[in-house]
Amino acid sequence: MKGIIGIGAMLGLLVILPSIQYVLAAGDSAGEYLDRRVVIWGLFYRLMIVAFTVGTVVSGLIVWLVLRFRESNPKATPTSYEASGSW
Amino acid sequence: MVLELQKPRPIWQIMFSTHHTDVGLLYLITSLAFMFMGGALALLLRVELFSPGVQIIADSMTYNRIFTVHGTTLIFLFILPSASAFGNYLVPIMVRFKDMAYPKLNAVAFWMIPPAGALIWLGFADFTWYAYPTYSVISAPGPAADMWIFGLKILGVSSILGSINFVVTIMKCKHPDLPLSKMPLLAWAYLTSSLITLVAVPTFAAALLMLLTDRLGASGFFNPAMGGDPIAYQHLFWFTFHPEVYILVIPAIGFMYEIFPRFSRKPIFSHSSGVAAFTLLTIVGFASWAHHMYATGMSFTEKTVFMVGTLAAVPASAMHTFNFLATMWGGRIKFATPIMWAVGGIALFFSAGAGGVVNSAMPLDFITHDSYWVVGHFHLFVMGTILFGTVGFVYYFFPYVTGRMYSEVLGKVHFILSFVGTVLVFFTQHILGLFGMPRRIYDYPPIPEWVQMNIIISIGAFIIGIGMAIFLVNLIWSSAKGKPADMDDPFGLGGKYYFPYQAKNPSH
Repeated sequence: MKGIIGIGAMLGLLVILPSIQYVLAAGDSAGEYLDRRVVIWGLFYRLMIVAFTVGTVVSGLIVWLVLRFRESNPKATPTSYEASGSW
Repeated sequence: MVLELQKPRPIWQIMFSTHHTDVGLLYLITSLAFMFMGGALALLLRVELFSPGVQIIADSMTYNRIFTVHGTTLIFLFILPSASAFGNYLVPIMVRFKDMAYPKLNAVAFWMIPPAGALIWLGFADFTWYAYPTYSVISAPGPAADMWIFGLKILGVSSILGSINFVVTIMKCKHPDLPLSKMPLLAWAYLTSSLITLVAVPTFAAALLMLLTDRLGASGFFNPAMGGDPIAYQHLFWFTFHPEVYILVIPAIGFMYEIFPRFSRKPIFSHSSGVAAFTLLTIVGFASWAHHMYATGMSFTEKTVFMVGTLAAVPASAMHTFNFLATMWGGRIKFATPIMWAVGGIALFFSAGAGGVVNSAMPLDFITHDSYWVVGHFHLFVMGTILFGTVGFVYYFFPYVTGRMYSEVLGKVHFILSFVGTVLVFFTQHILGLFGMPRRIYDYPPIPEWVQMNIIISIGAFIIGIGMAIFLVNLIWSSAKGKPADMDDPFGLGGKYYFPYQAKNPSH
């Protein structure tokens, strides 16, 4: 479990770190080297790619959970708590 | 539980009761009435925006009045009272106490809502639910604006009284055998959201007073002509109303913490992470208010602080989502109406959160600021998460209040229409914002993309409206003619429900 969390944290950093320079640059005073519109829209699209990727994973997981663990699924079995009647 | 509709009593006996279930019922009926009223105003707005040009609303002032009352009604007269409704019903039962700590104060807190609602609706102010100066100080017309201010003032006092009652009931009247660590997560939701209310709302109460004296010309806190600073109002407003977002959403998440384990037939995956996430949200809710104000000329450092403060809410929200999904994992889920709303709610909660991360990144905020993106994000949050959680819980709670079952078919049709409508309306509004359409406009030029998206949004709104009409019919018809519910197990899930001990209502 710790390994998974570590990999997750590393992946998160790999997404965030490259973005930080753009965020900081966008906050600087007007310079001749940056076209802010291009940088900001570039950052927007990068974040959208992250959001849609994570969104696809989460939504897919929700759909799978709904289909797999519905009580009408042939593989559905009573949970261990149903015997005792309290959960 | 109470069975008001199975054992009819004279209405005055409920109205003047101080028993927590009676006050809960009053809160519930009032909040649902305001939900339908506020929703009807939203449909008027969408008819007007269906296509460019004037449709049904005569002028921009009337349009502004309608969307002001729409927002004020749904936030202050629907969401907050509906949370109080279920809190009144359940908190004393969950902490095993006979009633709320201060029953009379509880009834007083409720009875402040109808006059406040009357002030807001009879005034019909036009300065949005923000009431930003300078317009609200200098130009907003006469009695309407003042009535709105008094209405909000009353609602603020009502919220504070209700929160004091929840905190004292939980902290002081809780059964000695029930440690806080074992208290149900819904009760935790009420504890944390009440604490936020107690810290946040007095600030807005002060701001309203300053706004009123500014309008009367007695002071100039927010009036630049008298040396005041309109931006100061925004800070005071958002210091209250960003935490207010958590006041609104935490009970809805608490409702989901009741629904998911119940219908998954297994306990919540992690009680302690739910408690931690509620506590974390309570704290970080106060670290992000100025992300609503990136465009007001704050320094880069200030904006960075508030951006980081905003993003701090992401782990807590993710903990809740993970908890729900992990609870479903390995369960044997009965997809009755309440859990359909809860599952839809978490899917939309995630989408709203993703949009929120974009807003909170300050460079990106300049793309979306004051555009329809913001409207889409906010509404996806309040409708997609809070209303979905609340409506799901209304269905869940229906048999306990009425002793009858709602129509499952109509409940599911309501869910499907609402989910499809919500996606059509609020996802499209995000895209419309990126295409540059500003919010709060009465009319718009016939730019083809804007026209197409506005038509889609209006159609989505009508679909939601049809769903809500079905909901209303289901509530009324089923409470009178619905199948009598098995009060020990109305959803046929087996097991013992851990909270519906019989509330000892002296009128029964």
